[in-house]
Amino acid sequence: MITTTTTTPLEGAVRKLPCLRSVARRNPNLTYRSFGLLRRRYKFRQLHVSASAASSSPSLVDDNPKLGPGSLGHVTRPDFPILLQEINGSKLVYLDNAATSQKPTAVIKALQNYYEAYNSNVHRGIHYLSAKATDEYESARKKVANFVNADQAREIIFTRNATEAINLVAYSWGLSNLNPGDEIITTIAEHHSAIVPWQIVAQKTRAVLRFVNLTEDEVPDVGQLRDSLSRRTKLLVMHHVSNMLASVLPMDEVISWAHDVGAKVLVDACQSVPHMVVDVKNLATDFLVGSSHKMCGPTGVGFLYGKTEILCGMPPFLGGGEMIADVYLDHSTYAEPPSRFEAGTPAIGEAIGLGAAIDYLTEIGMQQIHDYEMELGSYLYDRLSSVSDVRIYGPSPSRTVKRAALCSFNVKDVHPTDIATFLDQQHGVAIRSGHHCAQPLHRHLGISSSARASLHFYNTKDDVDRFIDALKDTINFFTSFK
Amino acid sequence: MHSSSNFKHLSLPLTISCVPTKSSPQFNPKIHLLKKPSSFLTISLTPTKPNPQICSKNPIFFSSSSRTKRLGLSSISCLIMEEASLDERLSVVDKVKCLSLEFRSLSEPIDRVKRLLHYASILPPLCESAKVQGNRVLGCTTQVWLEVRMDSRGSMKFTVDSDSEITKGFCSCLMWVLDGAEPEEILSVTAEDLADMNVGLPKKGRSRVNTWHNVLFSMQNRTQDCIQERKRALSLDDLHSLVIRPHAHSGGPSGDGSYVESEVGV
Ligand SMILES: Cc1ncc(COP(=O)(O)O)c(C=O)c1O
Repeated sequence: MITTTTTTPLEGAVRKLPCLRSVARRNPNLTYRSFGLLRRRYKFRQLHVSASAASSSPSLVDDNPKLGPGSLGHVTRPDFPILLQEINGSKLVYLDNAATSQKPTAVIKALQNYYEAYNSNVHRGIHYLSAKATDEYESARKKVANFVNADQAREIIFTRNATEAINLVAYSWGLSNLNPGDEIITTIAEHHSAIVPWQIVAQKTRAVLRFVNLTEDEVPDVGQLRDSLSRRTKLLVMHHVSNMLASVLPMDEVISWAHDVGAKVLVDACQSVPHMVVDVKNLATDFLVGSSHKMCGPTGVGFLYGKTEILCGMPPFLGGGEMIADVYLDHSTYAEPPSRFEAGTPAIGEAIGLGAAIDYLTEIGMQQIHDYEMELGSYLYDRLSSVSDVRIYGPSPSRTVKRAALCSFNVKDVHPTDIATFLDQQHGVAIRSGHHCAQPLHRHLGISSSARASLHFYNTKDDVDRFIDALKDTINFFTSFK
Repeated sequence: MHSSSNFKHLSLPLTISCVPTKSSPQFNPKIHLLKKPSSFLTISLTPTKPNPQICSKNPIFFSSSSRTKRLGLSSISCLIMEEASLDERLSVVDKVKCLSLEFRSLSEPIDRVKRLLHYASILPPLCESAKVQGNRVLGCTTQVWLEVRMDSRGSMKFTVDSDSEITKGFCSCLMWVLDGAEPEEILSVTAEDLADMNVGLPKKGRSRVNTWHNVLFSMQNRTQDCIQERKRALSLDDLHSLVIRPHAHSGGPSGDGSYVESEVGV
């Protein structure tokens, strides 16, 4: 059911929208919560009717009703002003969401409001602005905690990004808990930020860093992982969703195996938290990290979730203001978590912006976001795999194997950077090329780089169609030059 | 949506002309490239009609004026890098300016890409045995291999290749500018000088994927290494001459045998 023509209406030219009941019929996965959001939007949009849109190809609706006009992508797109621009003379198609997501107006406004109305340092002043900033900052912490279903807000530590969160665990927990011969197990498919800190810590502590390979299906081999676990294993570091393979790992199972041998687990949830429901209590993970900028929040802030009892036993990562109880000339006593790990003035406005992003995502509903991305992701996979000479990495989707909404790929005899450059320059399509901070994985696959198109819920079927058409044109262009 | 097939010819072809004296009012706007008065060069932007017979693949034409002909430049050339006589007479600084002008004149991105692909096609390939990790230019999203040596006259010789065609095009431009140049000239080029030639990157982009930047820096670093190596070799030569003829004086680049002696003693 693949169409090659692009007749999807552009946003702003929204097809006459059906009444809510039929939207619900076409989108059976709409949650009650997100319904309010949709209802609000439809009220405004029923007025905008475009002739061209109304006569759009019926295949669009017939193929997969969840991707037609009125899809989550169509409905949420206007919230992202950055998407409504032209790049190099073409309408922007942004498909580099695994690198960073775009920000809805609500987040931009929250940042602006903070700087305009109550910018002040947190936890330090008794004046009104400081109290307000502190309240909002701490409220953002609560929002993150609720979002990942942590027990308490103090289990959330704000960091600069996920990388810093991983380093925090490595330097604080790792250096004080790992001994010579202890094993850290991870996979060859990790992002560099989940490999390099452990190389450094393993070198310092003489612990052993072990890597789990891929299966033939190009998924991290959880069977091998299970066999590698032993009493020597002290830590398992693993991604939830791969930023290159699009594989989704059964973390709840994996974590229970690790706990069986007494190991702690750090989950790199950078590519899962923005796209699906992630529940730290269900997973029973010890640590989990995420980055705000990948989940519609501002850059400059990320978070570490850690179980209270583990965090309480960890020494500080950085020294400075905010993280101390008392400072004497010869020693200091440390504040309780989370302050212990938040030395210096944090990214206050950005954390508040992250809170606004979470409000926005929650209003839509993470399950709905996930369901829509699964549909759009399959559509991307199907269309891309039908382009000749394209090799997509990672597992083939099936009834049992679900892929995240991204595809890393190569085209025979055309360098991915050349593809990405041409797509950008000639078609305004933004994709990533390179090793995606996963060099060991690329080496394992026998390649030095790949291209990657990654989706978010504000992408539409039209974006995918335009990407595929542009890719075909790009391949023709380079082939004609040979 | 654009299509590579319905690409339009560019409206602003370039005319390059050489004039033997100072700037001439008939060439406008002008860029004075060489400082030496004997070979004053003016480049002017003059709309001329492309001639598909002469260059079908590339829409830009460098046509010379009658004065140019008098100076012995070939009358028409599609691409500045293929103008052999220009190659000989231009300094590194001039070549950078010429290329900047050439790429700035290509307002359509696809034309810049096409131009780079053409330059990629004229870059001699590096033999497979030289594509080793030790020759890699690090920090690019593509693989670039670079061999650098200093010839007997002290000029720098480069061989470069990439697995990406666009990158190879960048490298081809860098080769045209820098291959055979004096080390000092090579070290004087900055990444900003190359900004106008960028494709797919912001003008002053100092991104970690900026291939220009990384390849240029690599060329410069390895040029520095060659300079150091040559200095060491020359010092050793002096040392040898000191050992063989302990009372010999000067002759080396330092011009002072005793200095070499004392340096060796440190
Ligand atoms: C799986 C994964 N882990 C970690 C990171 C690092 O995130 P950040 O650069 O925000 O620290 C990324 C970002 O690309 C990622 O995709």
